Formats: sequence, structure tokens, C-alpha cells
Amino acid sequence: MLKFDHVSFSYPGMTQTVKDLSFEVHAGEVVAMIGSNGAGKSTVSRLANGLLRPDSGHVYVDGEDTGKVRTSVIAKKVGFLFQNPDRQICQNTVREEIAFGPQVQGVPQDETEKRTEEMLQTFELDGDWFPFTRSRGERQRIALASVLACSPELVILDEPTTGLDYRECIRIMDYITGLSREQGLTVLMVSHDMELVQEYAQRVLVLTDGRLVGEGPTGRIMKDMSVLGQAHVLPAQIPMLALRFGEKFSDVYTVEEMAEAIHREKAAEAAAMKNGRADANTIADTKHQGANAIAAGDKSGNAPDEKGARS
Amino acid sequence: MNLLDYVPGDSFLHKLNPVMKLLAAFLYGIACIICNNVIMELVFILLMILISSFAGLQKRALRLTKNLLVLGLIMFVLQLLFVRTGDPLLVIGGFCVFTVGGLMSALLLSLRIVATMLPLMLLFAITRMNDLCGALVKRLHVPYRYAFIVTTAFRFVPLFTTEFHDIEDAQKARGVEYDTGNIFRRLKLIVPLFVPLLISSMKKVDAGAMSAQLRGFNLRTTQSGYHEYPFHRCDAVCLLFLAAVLAVSVAGMILIK
Repeated sequence: MLKFDHVSFSYPGMTQTVKDLSFEVHAGEVVAMIGSNGAGKSTVSRLANGLLRPDSGHVYVDGEDTGKVRTSVIAKKVGFLFQNPDRQICQNTVREEIAFGPQVQGVPQDETEKRTEEMLQTFELDGDWFPFTRSRGERQRIALASVLACSPELVILDEPTTGLDYRECIRIMDYITGLSREQGLTVLMVSHDMELVQEYAQRVLVLTDGRLVGEGPTGRIMKDMSVLGQAHVLPAQIPMLALRFGEKFSDVYTVEEMAEAIHREKAAEAAAMKNGRADANTIADTKHQGANAIAAGDKSGNAPDEKGARS
Repeated sequence: MNLLDYVPGDSFLHKLNPVMKLLAAFLYGIACIICNNVIMELVFILLMILISSFAGLQKRALRLTKNLLVLGLIMFVLQLLFVRTGDPLLVIGGFCVFTVGGLMSALLLSLRIVATMLPLMLLFAITRMNDLCGALVKRLHVPYRYAFIVTTAFRFVPLFTTEFHDIEDAQKARGVEYDTGNIFRRLKLIVPLFVPLLISSMKKVDAGAMSAQLRGFNLRTTQSGYHEYPFHRCDAVCLLFLAAVLAVSVAGMILIK
């Protein structure tokens, strides 16, 4: 769906922001791009929808080279949700705002109306609202609704959840990943909220200084301290905790799994106690191993990588 | 580089009192307006470029001249076609396209625009906005809020430019065709560009006003700044020079009449 082929890019008069970047996002995938500030995430997302053109290399959207097609044409396939919804809201009512995208893209009137009503319902928006004075969360929802009303094949979310409360976040992300499952929407999200990445992404791209330093299923990347360290990010809390607990928790990624694993270990311990072989050192040892692994960097890089396939 | 940005330096021009610089740019402009002779206008333009080269700004001055000439050219064409005094100079098929008077007046006006604007534009290259604002408050006792309006307006220009480009990008990403070749279609698409810009500007202004209030903006008076802006001998020299320029201009006007 989206393919970067040895892409390099630099803003005029600045050092190179993206260096020889190659990766692919397949149709129907939910991929997260993580990295610290200034790692080039936003630049990459802008390269992906043709707002920026690579200096060298090629970006292909659905097989088409973005260097050869106008951005407004690419926009029919690629939806882009910006951090700041105010940059795109320009109509008097929410209904007109949502209908605006399909209209400029030449979608027939009745289809536009149908999609608009659908979006209004899905996102619990009132079509007659004056969009500019709504709350931050509502404006973000309006922006997202207007992006999705164009029914894109690929959605790029640039920090979609900045300034939103957790409930609003979950709602937006649930809806988008739902679309991905049901209609095969491809999603590329840029975020440094690792909890969100852990929860929703199937695959993670790790960016540092415009280079790809790691790529893989979310579960594996979450426990690969050497890669995350290079990007200056910490894993989500549960994988981090699991990492500290060591080997026996190596396939734990979610709260449920953590609870299950703790029960399992407790039961095992109780059983061991019963057998008279209980040894407090076992647990202490395990913890110790985990800490060492973190200190050493990537000892747990060998954690199983079934997570991606599973979700 | 922005043509209105400050260029740091410690030349004679930079060291002038900001009030003097403003007055100088103003007087030079007046001299250029009074002047009614094409050759003298040209001399004024060249003189200004020469003066700016003392501050190492010759490149900037030349670029500005070039840009202003575009504006001058538009005025030239308009004047040429609409001023119809004197003998016909170009007649095509019995229709007089332009006259001698039209040509002279067009030439004079377009050069005058360049000559008048040039010193004002160069003022920004040698004066920090804060200095100009401070000196106006200290020396001319302009109320701080008015001086602040002017400096803020200039400071906001680059901010708006950035915002404008970001909005354009955001709308392009939605499929609004700013990248189309058709200029009439582009004109129709101006609403999605200016409405967000207007709204975000209002929001910025509102937030700016509030933060200024919070920092005691209304308490600020002439005494609040610790920077002094004394006049030096070089300011007097500059004033004398400008008096001379004005005198030449007036003399030229009377003699050539």
C-alpha cells in the first residue's frame, strides 16, 4: 500500500532529516511509527502523502510514485489527520465541514450526503454545530470525521491523540482499528504514546535521526531495549514490567496476560512450597535477571514475536 | 532570507539612534517624492544603494531594488497607458497608444516608488524592532501600547507565513487543489485557506493579549525600560546630510520648473 524505497529528504538549508529510508506498509495493517522529537516522524508522514517530495529515492502509494502525482490526487487515497484540527476546519457547520472533503474530490452529491450522515452518527456529532467554538476533543473528532468521509485507503495519523483525554483517544483509535479490521483500511500512526502503540499497532517502525533503527511486530519491539534505547523511548508499562520479571513473563503484553501470568507463577510457587522445595531465592533470582537484562540492553530481544500475528 | 529581517552589524548606520534612522528614512523618502526629475531619482536610488553598502547591505539593497522594480513596472504600464499629455509617441492604426507626457510621467513615478520605498525597507535591516519601539517610547514619548502594536505587527508576519503554509498543506492533504495549474479554480479555493488563518490569528491575538495582561502590560510606561537611546554626533551628521539631500531635491524642483 505504502512503500518507501531508499528515500532521503532534507528541508532547504538544513541537514538531512530523512536518510536512506526503506520500509513498506501493507494493505490492512495498523503500523505505528515511534521515535523522539525531531527524529523525522512528521517528515516521513508528510512524504507519505506527497506534501513533501523525496530528494532521492521513491515513495509509492498504491503503486503510484508520489513524485509524479499531485498531492490533491494522492489525497483521494490517503487521508491525513494533523495534530492541529484547526488548520483544516473551514466551514460554517459541522455537516458542511465533513462534506467538504468528498465535495472537492468530486464524490457525487447523494453519496457525499450518505457518508456525512454516517460520520455524524459514528462520531456523535451534531451537524448544525458551529465547528470553531467546539472543544478540542470535538474538533479533533470533526477533523477525523472529515478525513474518513473521503473514504481513504490509507490513513496517516500524525499524533492523533495530542490534547485528547484518554476516553476520547480510545474512542478514536477503536473506531479506526475497527475500520482496519472490517474494511481493510491501512493505518500509519505517528505517536510517542507507547501505551497507545502497544494497544493498537500490529507493527512498529522505530525512527532515530531520520533512520530506521528497528522494525517488527509490536510485541518484539516493545521488549527490544536496545532499539527503544536508540530512539530514547521506554516500552509501555506492562511489557516493561514483564521484562523486569524476566524469562517466565516473556510472552506477557497486556494487563490480562500479566494477571494470568502472576496467578500462574503464584500457583507454581505454592505447588513448589508444598513440595518443600520452596526457595525464596528463585524469585529473587528471576527479578535479578530481569534487571540485568535491562542494564545490558537487549538480552530480551529474543522474546517471542507472535504478538503481531495474534492481534 | 526575509527582506525585512534585521541584519546585525556595527557600522555607522547601525549605530545611529533609532529615532534618527526612522526620521532619516522618512526625510529621504520625502526628498524622493519632491524630486520631479528622472535623472535625480536615479541618483537617489544609486546613492541609497551606496549608503547601504557602508553597512555591508549592498546585496540586500540590490535585491530590494529588484523587487521594488516589479512594483514600479506595474505602475509604469498603468501610467503609460492612462496619462495622455504631450505629443503622441506611438500610434498604431490611428490609435495613440502612449504619449511623450505619459512616458515621462510613467518613468518618473515608477522610479519614485523605488526611491521612496528603498530607505524605509532598509530601515528594518539596520534597526532592531525592540530598539525602534524602545526609542520611540523613550525619546518621542509615544505611548508604549502604540509602539507595541507596530513591532508586534512586524513580528507576526513570519508567524502568519508559516501558519499559512501549514494550512495550505492541511487542505491539500484533503484534496483541495492548490496545486492545480488553473488560476480561476485556485481563486475559488481561497475560503478553506483564509477562514482557518483568520480563526487561528484571532485565537493567537486573544491569547497574546491575555499573556501580555498577565505580565503587567498596562503598567508599562516611559520609565519602565532601562535602555537609554542618547543622540550622538553621528546623528547630527546624518541630519545635516539629509538636510542637504532635501535642499538639492527642492532646488532641483525649482530650477527644472
